[in-house]
Amino acid sequence: MTTKQDYREIRVEEYVVDEEPFYVPTADEIDVFEAAYRQRVPVLLKGPTGTGKTRFVEYMSWRIGQSLGAPAQPASDNVSANGHLPLVTVACHEDLTASDLVGRYLLDSNGTRWIDGPLTRAVKAGGICYLDEVVEARKDTTVIIHPLTDHRRTLTIDKLGEVIEASDGFLLVVSYNPGYQNAMKDLKHSTRQRFIALEFDFPDEEREAQIIAHESGVDEGNAELLARLGAKIRNLREHGLEEGASTRVLIYAGRLIKEGVTARRACQVGVTWGITDDPQIQRSIDEVVSSIFP
Amino acid sequence: MSDKSSKDDKAKSAGQGGSGAAKLSVQQIEKELEQYPSPVAERFRLANGSLSGRLADETLQEWAATGLDIARKTVRSWEAASEFFDSSSAVQRQLPSGQFLRWGRTGSSLCGESPALAVAFFKASPSAMLRLRPRYIDDWATVTRSLYRGTWKSSALAARLFESTPKLLETLSFDEFCSFGGFLEVLSRRSYDSASDSLNAGVDLFPRLGSDSDHFIALARAVSESSWREVKDLFDAGTDALVPLPSAQRVALLSLARRLNAMGSGDSGALLRAGSKAVTSVQADSRDKLLELTDRLASVHAAAAPEFLKSAPGVLERVTFAQMAEWHARGAQISQENPDAAVSFFKLESAAASETLDALSSSIELTRVRDVLRMYCQALTGHPIEVSAAQQLADKNIGWFQGELPTTEGTTVYLPSVINRYLTKDDNFSFYKVVSTHQIGHIEFGSFDFNFGRPSSMFDDLRPDLPGAEKVAAEIESDARLQQQMELSQSVMAGEELHLQEAGAAAADGDEAAPAQREFLTDMSRFFDLFPDNKLALDVFTIVESTRVDSLVTEAYRGIADKYRTVQESALENRPELEELPARESLVEFLIRWSLGQRDGLVAPKDHLDAARKVRRLLERMRTSEATVEDAAEATIRIYSILENVLNEDVDEDEFESVDPDEQSEEGEDESGGDDEVDRNDVIQQFMQGAETQAGDEEQSEDGADSEQSQDEAPGEQDYSSPQEIDYRGEFKPELSQLLSQLQLGDGSEMGEEIEGMEPISQEQLEELMKNAPEMDPQNLEEGEEGQEAPNTDELIENLMKELQKRDPQNQQFQQGPMQHVDEDGGPLDATELNTFTYDEWDFRAGEYKPRWCLVHEKEMADGEPNFFRDTLTDNSSLLARIRKQFELVVPEQYRKQKRLEDGEEQDLDAVLEAVIDMKIGITPDEKVYWRRNKTERSVSVAFLLDMSASTAEAIDEAKKPSDDWGAPDDPVEYMVWLRSRRAEGLRRSYKRIVDVEKEGIVLLVNALETLGDSYGIYGFSGYGRENVEYYVIKDLEEKFSDRVPRRIDRIAPLHATRMGPAIRHTAAKLADVDARSRFLFLISDGRPQDRGYSREGVEKEYAVHDTRQALIEAKKQGITPFCLTVDKSGHDYLKTMMEDFSYEVLPDINMLPARLPQLYRALTT
Repeated sequence: MTTKQDYREIRVEEYVVDEEPFYVPTADEIDVFEAAYRQRVPVLLKGPTGTGKTRFVEYMSWRIGQSLGAPAQPASDNVSANGHLPLVTVACHEDLTASDLVGRYLLDSNGTRWIDGPLTRAVKAGGICYLDEVVEARKDTTVIIHPLTDHRRTLTIDKLGEVIEASDGFLLVVSYNPGYQNAMKDLKHSTRQRFIALEFDFPDEEREAQIIAHESGVDEGNAELLARLGAKIRNLREHGLEEGASTRVLIYAGRLIKEGVTARRACQVGVTWGITDDPQIQRSIDEVVSSIFP
Repeated sequence: MSDKSSKDDKAKSAGQGGSGAAKLSVQQIEKELEQYPSPVAERFRLANGSLSGRLADETLQEWAATGLDIARKTVRSWEAASEFFDSSSAVQRQLPSGQFLRWGRTGSSLCGESPALAVAFFKASPSAMLRLRPRYIDDWATVTRSLYRGTWKSSALAARLFESTPKLLETLSFDEFCSFGGFLEVLSRRSYDSASDSLNAGVDLFPRLGSDSDHFIALARAVSESSWREVKDLFDAGTDALVPLPSAQRVALLSLARRLNAMGSGDSGALLRAGSKAVTSVQADSRDKLLELTDRLASVHAAAAPEFLKSAPGVLERVTFAQMAEWHARGAQISQENPDAAVSFFKLESAAASETLDALSSSIELTRVRDVLRMYCQALTGHPIEVSAAQQLADKNIGWFQGELPTTEGTTVYLPSVINRYLTKDDNFSFYKVVSTHQIGHIEFGSFDFNFGRPSSMFDDLRPDLPGAEKVAAEIESDARLQQQMELSQSVMAGEELHLQEAGAAAADGDEAAPAQREFLTDMSRFFDLFPDNKLALDVFTIVESTRVDSLVTEAYRGIADKYRTVQESALENRPELEELPARESLVEFLIRWSLGQRDGLVAPKDHLDAARKVRRLLERMRTSEATVEDAAEATIRIYSILENVLNEDVDEDEFESVDPDEQSEEGEDESGGDDEVDRNDVIQQFMQGAETQAGDEEQSEDGADSEQSQDEAPGEQDYSSPQEIDYRGEFKPELSQLLSQLQLGDGSEMGEEIEGMEPISQEQLEELMKNAPEMDPQNLEEGEEGQEAPNTDELIENLMKELQKRDPQNQQFQQGPMQHVDEDGGPLDATELNTFTYDEWDFRAGEYKPRWCLVHEKEMADGEPNFFRDTLTDNSSLLARIRKQFELVVPEQYRKQKRLEDGEEQDLDAVLEAVIDMKIGITPDEKVYWRRNKTERSVSVAFLLDMSASTAEAIDEAKKPSDDWGAPDDPVEYMVWLRSRRAEGLRRSYKRIVDVEKEGIVLLVNALETLGDSYGIYGFSGYGRENVEYYVIKDLEEKFSDRVPRRIDRIAPLHATRMGPAIRHTAAKLADVDARSRFLFLISDGRPQDRGYSREGVEKEYAVHDTRQALIEAKKQGITPFCLTVDKSGHDYLKTMMEDFSYEVLPDINMLPARLPQLYRALTT
């Protein structure tokens, strides 16, 4: 069904998460997601940047893939033999059109040839298609998404005049960050009400310290301090900062510390300067850093 | 003139008479004299009696003849003669006979001018002769006589000078006296009153100036010549400013003033004052240097020198003298390049001045780091915390009194306004940081969240068992019940009838606890009420709680621990000696020192070593991360009970023994087993007794509060006084803070709900509450600030009441604060209130900004009637339709064809052909063969800034003004209604004003803009003075159009002046926050910018124009396109300067405005 001529090393629809990603659940989101997957209910992940939305999808794709096993999916030969669930991730941007998702005709010397877009591939392969930051994409993408998210589970490719019924394993997952997009880029209700929504927020200090320690390899003491710093900086959201420090930047700072950079300097380059350009706020955050780190 | 000559004649004839009298014998003269009123002859006889033995007969005869001469001069001259005889005897003693007779003749000729002068001359003579050399007598008379110009006032002045001569000569040399006389003469030509005032002032002043008077007189003379009106002030300044100065600087300052005066740089009085203030503010050895600096500056630029002196004391508060000299040098340099800039430099109004100062100074001002600290505090607590100068809280007079001590009331951290305790900026900033971290610690670690009923984590709670606790428990329960009722009744309202009966039952149940009568109490006050001596309790609680917070802070913020340590150490240095305090106070002090980290050298009274160890152990238990504010409360009860048993008596120094720091750790271990340091029952018993005696006291003495303690005091016991504050911990007021925070807590908090369920606190309740509050103890206050009057409690409560109302969330009306008047010469302003903003102002002469010069008050425009909007739309319906059409055309223009795309609506024929050809040739063709109509989204944001100055009240067309009342109804009743309505409208609708046309234009535009979908804001501005720039929001940029917008448009009305600069800056700041591709600032005005002080020295109109221009340039830099539309026909002249490089339009006819505005808008934005 899919085109055979492909010059890529791994085809999009064949990408599976092989190793267990590190993920620390904050609540029952794993159970909920599993339930949603069993019922094939599309999932919307909400939350600020760096709260582990992408990591969560990776983790769930791995976890569900493990539980599926090879025999559970006899019908489709496209699902990898080892039983894992393919994960197609599309990072949406403001010029992303429907044809970027569905596919398009390319010209070659013999005329034209059709190439499937990532969404089409995921629909065919029966994996999770994860549209990151979906509101960034152009409005016409939503038209494509709608039939895939209700009982029809179909993808219409009007250029080919085809309708593809989604393979059984297919599930659409989108993410969106309600914080920084302006009102213009809010998700439309007709779209958002096709998903169950999981809210992501920064983990509490203890969990975050655990995550930082694991991801960066920094010692526990520093991980705790980094987590505290994160919490303090997030207090400044809406008071000058658009976004708090994500767990990701804290991990980066942790990595630098592990490499021998002094803690205060690591936080300055890894956290302070990264999250804001305002010298006043930088100064304030620096003061918080120097209070927390000896 | 003729008068004078006739007088001269008289004098001549009198002189002839005199020569006649010279031949008379003394007896004959006596006889002659008898025809004058009796005192003349009487005094003559008296004087004759005493003189006859002392003078030769001839001389005596001449003397007597002179007297007769005088008497004969004019009608009133007998008085002079009488004075002459009266003082003769005394004068004669001072003078040889030749001089004596000359004296008489001098007086006689004076009498020829004016008998009154002669009277004064003779009267003053006896004492003047004590100090006056005989040969100066004539000069004396001449100098004084020069003041006399034949008028009554001049004679009074001259007489006054004679009178004052003896006094003046006590300090002045005769030369100085003459120059003073000369000065008076000059001044008297301008004003006799002023001269006479100066004379009086001089009499008082010169003795105090001593030998420096001559310099002062010289200055006074110079001033009297250049600007005589300032002389009075000069003398005042002399008294105020010069007297306290040492002589050397006095002279230097006076000669400086003279030089400046000669250079035409005015106000010498002010200079003296400023100079004196500056001189006394520096160390004795730098004083000459300071004046030398000023002198040097004066030679470069006279106008800058006084400003330097004025600023010097303030500057010296921030930097050392040597650093100030550097600052001065920089200013002097500037003055060579640009004299105007130098003046603002030394006035501290220029950015260069503050920057230079900043670079030099190691001190830190709160205003400079406030934003950083505020964000720091917000980050740490997660609450919106404000940072303010401590003085502001003290000024509110609601219970905090010490302007320079840090404190917090739960939402704002108050800090000293300047820190200059360390040598480097970093250290000073660290102090700020430590202080704010401590204050924030109280918020972050819950000092104000004390809950009476919540158990502590490490103690066996004593609170519920203490006397009074039962009452508290009952109250808390009734509060809870009350709240339940509230919830029930709310659910009833929500329609759940099921609960109706239950609620009724509950209400019936609970009515014995009538809520309105209950005392209004915070948990904190409930707690303090348990203690018989709640002042001691507060002190102990303060120490314990601060220790807990310190420990938690250093635990959580290890990075600051070192700095914390440093600050604690320096706090320890200033503590009083333990040995000097009475027993109980020394134990309290012992605790403080322990809490500040002192371990060695701690002592306690020998008899109380055990108590010291116990309280220390209790305090030490606070240093764990589990300790809560309730633990602190429990520890307070225990420490209190121990301390109360220690009599506060004086202890000899050798009665103190050291408390070994180490034993604590050993004992501490078995203590942690759970054994309390105190026996529960003992404590309860103790409190019981305390409560009883207290009750007894209160019954016994109604008014004598002091007797409270005296009851069972042992002899030798002293009144307990609170320990000295710890600088970085500042004032801790848990009770007040809790009270204040309760009212502003939102619905989310249980406390808030509890309070909201009740009536707002009344004044009586507040008084009741404050009566028992230890924080309000007047004794506390007196100790806090010496010399300051104890604040009036009533006033305090009133202020607190106001503060509470302000914070009441249901009472969030915008209240205009008291209009403060800030002088134009004042410094930068601070935006302290909500919705106020400061902006710099451009001084085009100096070529730099005056920092934070204008204060913009942003307010939402009040709602008016919607009629104006509606009427304008109906009146202009055809114009409206046209505008709409034009605007609708704008929309399709936004669609443009985009070619060469990978994907799109259609293939582009050209591109496809190329591709096909490429393919035929065998080349890979370009894939981009599509085109698409792309909707480029219109992203326009525009702010309209309306001039609401008073001048817009002008009628546009006088002819249209209805001149008569032809529309008045005939029926008297109707007529009254008609008249009233007209009056109510204040003739507003009867003719059109400029502002009305502006409004019309806005209405039409708003209507059109809604079709376009651009984001737009409408703002009006006016104001008076730089500290009151009023800025009205009619529609904010992000605000959606609602029916309130037309209402607000209705309220646009002429107000005050036009300070455009800050209004433009504020609008630009608003626009800068909006996410739009193109941004416009549309200024609609009726004339040039003007305002009080919006000029240099009140004359140069260009100042305002240049500042406005600078504001527009700033806007441009932020990517905003400014446009100015004015209806001022004479606008072209200044607009050329103001709007250079910018677009503007001058409307020839104001009535065009409504039609033109939308056209312009469309042209501008597409």
